[in-house]
Amino acid sequence: MTRQNLSPEVVPAAGFSVREFARTAHGSHRASLDLDAYREHPLDPDTVAIVDLLARLEHGALSYLRSVLVTPTHKDARVTAFLVTWAYEKYWVADALEQVVAAHPAPQPGRGISRTKRLRLGLAERIEPITESVVANLIGDDLIATHTAAGAVDEWITQAAFEQLRDRSPHPEFVATLDRILAVKRPHAAFFAADAGDRLAASPPAVRLARRRLSRITWPLGSATEPPALVAGILDRLLPASGLALIDARVDALPGLAGLHLASTAAQKARKAAGR
Amino acid sequence: MAFDVDSYAETSMGVTWQDLDFDSFGSQPLSQDTLRTLSYMCAVEYHTVCYLRDLLVTPSHKERDVNAFMTMWNREEYWHGEALAAVLARYGITVDYDELKAARVKLEWRDKLAPLKQSILGNIIGDDFVAVHMSWGAANEWSATAAYRRLAALEQHPALSPLLQRIGQQETRHTAFYATQARKRLEKSKMARTLTRLVLAKAWRPVGSSISEPEDLDHVMRHLFSGPDGLAEIRRIDANIAKLPGMEGLTIFETAVRPHDMRWPAPDPA
Ligand SMILES: [Fe+2]
Ligand SMILES: [Fe+2]
Repeated sequence: MTRQNLSPEVVPAAGFSVREFARTAHGSHRASLDLDAYREHPLDPDTVAIVDLLARLEHGALSYLRSVLVTPTHKDARVTAFLVTWAYEKYWVADALEQVVAAHPAPQPGRGISRTKRLRLGLAERIEPITESVVANLIGDDLIATHTAAGAVDEWITQAAFEQLRDRSPHPEFVATLDRILAVKRPHAAFFAADAGDRLAASPPAVRLARRRLSRITWPLGSATEPPALVAGILDRLLPASGLALIDARVDALPGLAGLHLASTAAQKARKAAGR
Repeated sequence: MAFDVDSYAETSMGVTWQDLDFDSFGSQPLSQDTLRTLSYMCAVEYHTVCYLRDLLVTPSHKERDVNAFMTMWNREEYWHGEALAAVLARYGITVDYDELKAARVKLEWRDKLAPLKQSILGNIIGDDFVAVHMSWGAANEWSATAAYRRLAALEQHPALSPLLQRIGQQETRHTAFYATQARKRLEKSKMARTLTRLVLAKAWRPVGSSISEPEDLDHVMRHLFSGPDGLAEIRRIDANIAKLPGMEGLTIFETAVRPHDMRWPAPDPA
């Protein structure tokens, strides 16, 4: 078994132009947000709380980068070039969501998770990069497929959430903002899925690793440190069963990843954690 | 000197060169020395993402301003790489993603150790270690500024000089962020000052020395900084470092660059 899974002429996700993606990156959305509209017609508090959570999840791009860059994935200059622009676009998506939240009255305190839990999670987060780095470097290139597949699953889940918010909202300015956000995010899922698909198709060990790792992740990425009730608000209440099934079907369609049921399992777990 | 991260983020953009007269690279060709130096700089710029990795394994990734800056900064550096690659392409020199991958793979053994050591060290010493990173970042950005300024002075070129100037202006903003962060953290903690002084004095090497061949590094240092003018530039950035709290008297650049056979006057007797 060689470490180099792909023959040199095969470039994963070759149909995706990373240079073009970088060149046409979307920056700040502030000018198009029309925030005054929310002062006259505010979103309901539950929606604001979900938007607030989605903003934090989008800001998780740098945490993802940290986990990925301490592994051999950082050596793939094409993937890292994609991630540089991806992180930039996600920063501004998060910023747009934060602006919308800030246009509403501040939520009541006590909504977040306890200080003790945060400290515990913070500690776990501090230890994780070390173990990740050691383990990941032993595994080698096969890990890249896991990282890009994880990126795809995460994008599919969060994009489904944005789509549901849009479809249910009677608020034209909010709908317009969500449409813009979805337009920015769709190519992210496309790159991740194409890259993961090509790598998984080329390497049975990459498939085994991805199946194992993806099942262990708390979806969406970054939600492990969020209040369970809020996470359930997205996975359990916002996304319909058919939406979860559609995400799982997309994962099933990736080479070797059939039958993982990541989204529906995540929704079950979120429901349980939220005590419902 | 305050640094407003929000307005930095709002105004951050990829460097542009489409309006510059790149045909002048045909009518006024760059020297082989300059092309070799540009290749080195281009690789360093593309490689910035790996430096981001080292920063992120320390607690600094939790800080919001730092996150915002890192996101924008890294993208700007990526575009510096793209801009220099566009110049090199005019001379048939391609710096493509696959070649970069080869350079990073070659370094594997050293690379594997770096994030691990920093992660352990970074998490144990915590905030004081962030001061080291910020000071190190400031040193890197000052040296990048100096390098672009020198190259622009050496090559009075109608397309290259304005491009280097644009890149240099962005490097100056990077410097402002790192230096502000470093100063704030160094002022607060004696441990941070001790640690930073130790790491800078013992470990600082010119940016890119870990990803390039020794001959190429030699070439770049001599090309940009040999002779009295080069030494003056090096001393100018050493003076910037020495102004950071607790770094008085450090001469990290002069010390690191002098061994490259620089044809400099002898060092001042201390
Ligand atoms: Fe740069
Ligand atoms: Fe820079």
